[in-house]
Amino acid sequence: MNTFQRIFNLVAYEWRRSLAKKKIYVLIALALALQIGIFALFNFFFTSPTQGPNITGPFLEGVKGTMWLLGVLGPQGLFIPLIAIIVAGGSMSEEYEHGTADILLSKPITRVEYLAGKYLGGLSLIGFVIVLITILGTVLARGFFGPQESLQIIPAVYMALVYANLLFFSLAFMLSEALRRTTLAYLVSIGIFIASMIVGGYLSILYAMTREQFYLDISRWLPNWSASNFPSFVVSELMTVQNSPFISVVSGDVRLAAAIIAVYSVVSVLVATVRLVKSDITKRGD
Amino acid sequence: MSRCVIEASDLTKLYGNFKALDAVSFSVEKGWIYGYLGPNGAGKTTTIRTMLGLLRPNEGEMQIDEINPVKDPVGALQVVGYAPELPNLQAFFSGEQLLDFAGKMFGLSDQARTERVKQLLDLVDLNEAGKRKVGNYSKGMVQRLSVALALISDPEVLIMDEPTIGMDPEATAHFRDLFVSLSKQGKTVFISSHLLDEVQRTCTHVGMINRGKIVFSGPIEQVLGAFTQRWVVEVELEKASSEIITVLRGLDYVQNVEIEGNKLLIGLKEKKDLRGEISSEIFRYQGVLLSLNLRRITLEDAYLLALKGGRPP
Repeated sequence: MNTFQRIFNLVAYEWRRSLAKKKIYVLIALALALQIGIFALFNFFFTSPTQGPNITGPFLEGVKGTMWLLGVLGPQGLFIPLIAIIVAGGSMSEEYEHGTADILLSKPITRVEYLAGKYLGGLSLIGFVIVLITILGTVLARGFFGPQESLQIIPAVYMALVYANLLFFSLAFMLSEALRRTTLAYLVSIGIFIASMIVGGYLSILYAMTREQFYLDISRWLPNWSASNFPSFVVSELMTVQNSPFISVVSGDVRLAAAIIAVYSVVSVLVATVRLVKSDITKRGD
Repeated sequence: MSRCVIEASDLTKLYGNFKALDAVSFSVEKGWIYGYLGPNGAGKTTTIRTMLGLLRPNEGEMQIDEINPVKDPVGALQVVGYAPELPNLQAFFSGEQLLDFAGKMFGLSDQARTERVKQLLDLVDLNEAGKRKVGNYSKGMVQRLSVALALISDPEVLIMDEPTIGMDPEATAHFRDLFVSLSKQGKTVFISSHLLDEVQRTCTHVGMINRGKIVFSGPIEQVLGAFTQRWVVEVELEKASSEIITVLRGLDYVQNVEIEGNKLLIGLKEKKDLRGEISSEIFRYQGVLLSLNLRRITLEDAYLLALKGGRPP
């Protein structure tokens, strides 16, 4: 048996392990419910304009051909990163807490193969969740708002979403291995996610007030900025329809966001690898 | 010609300042059933986890089939089956699925896995529970499944950490017979256990560890023989007063005195029948003697003597 087969076995194992958790289903259901809810809301305003000046009607008329983007990119703001954190944050630590790391690592497998299998298993599961969200978002948009435009960029948008989620997935994965405590890994990961959102918001306000580039630069290096915005930036570069209100276009953002995601992800995976390879396999409570 | 399949050389393992293993050395040859004994916290599980490459020794080296499991886990662990103490197996698998997954980890083909899983479920009497989730198994069932997991690849070396904890007497006897039959097939079995009677009945060799140090390693006859050189006198008193115990402990020919209620196990330094001398001492201190016998040494006696008195002669 070669390295790839051993890693593949661990990938399949990780899917089973993650899908045995109820909270994963709850988050997936919430993400899908969010899509349906947003579309239903937009559809209501579109078909039932309020009394007085009809603002929403003309607005939606202009964007209804790209509504699928709203469905596909919407959950990236909260639910997909949370699913990524839940999957990755328990990936390594739960094996220590449950005592099952001993069972797995007493089989003929190297620690690097073990880590690769767990990482790729979790990441491919996130990829699958994004497939579901992408398909549902596109189908719902077609159902609610008629034919959709620029659908040829779906594969690129999908890839951008997976890439964007590497950041929080890798960060939570690293914390899971480094701390070897699931609750702590979740708390720190979610804490970083929320804190970077809040701090990023304040820094943007400071930038708007002072026009000091420093504040903007700092806010961009916070993990949330690149993870949340990268897919939108990719879409803005690819789309022929430029009037979508869901996309903010800033030149050079794509490359910067991609680089930041790469830096966070690579550093996280390296830290996790060094921690696993260089230290003892701890037991429950150690 | 005998071949060494497990070899520990001067293993030292530190947890902070605590020395869990202190220059531990022993070797286990092919076909042996090696019982690894020691009190709680002596270093038994640490030794096993070092053997599997889960822990890295601070000094020394462990080799399985001449391969260091830390440097080459794939090579070393390919021949090993391991059943941990009080295992927490993956609750989301059924017994059948878990065995199948373990078979995949060893690279067994689909057909080989199917046959082996069925055979092992049968062996550990879990056929009917094979499709049930492991999370719904009783402690004894988990323990039996853990032994089956260790056997999935038909390993050359079987490492078992307290394998019969939680099992009923019938299952315990069944697994004892299984280990003996595996040894007869040329497999090597390493068992860490507290059940001295079970070890005495099953094992060909024993290793004793106390406070991280090996106090004995060798054939079971040798350990029993070594301590038979120091006979044990079993004394039952109406009341084992501290004065009598102190006096007995102070006698030149007494190695040690173990207390079991009003019974005293007096280990002698030489192979001499000193019952007369002992009874005189007891009478001298107004002790009421109910019985006094020379006792045949058991592994338990040898174990207790070894832990108290260090390495036997």
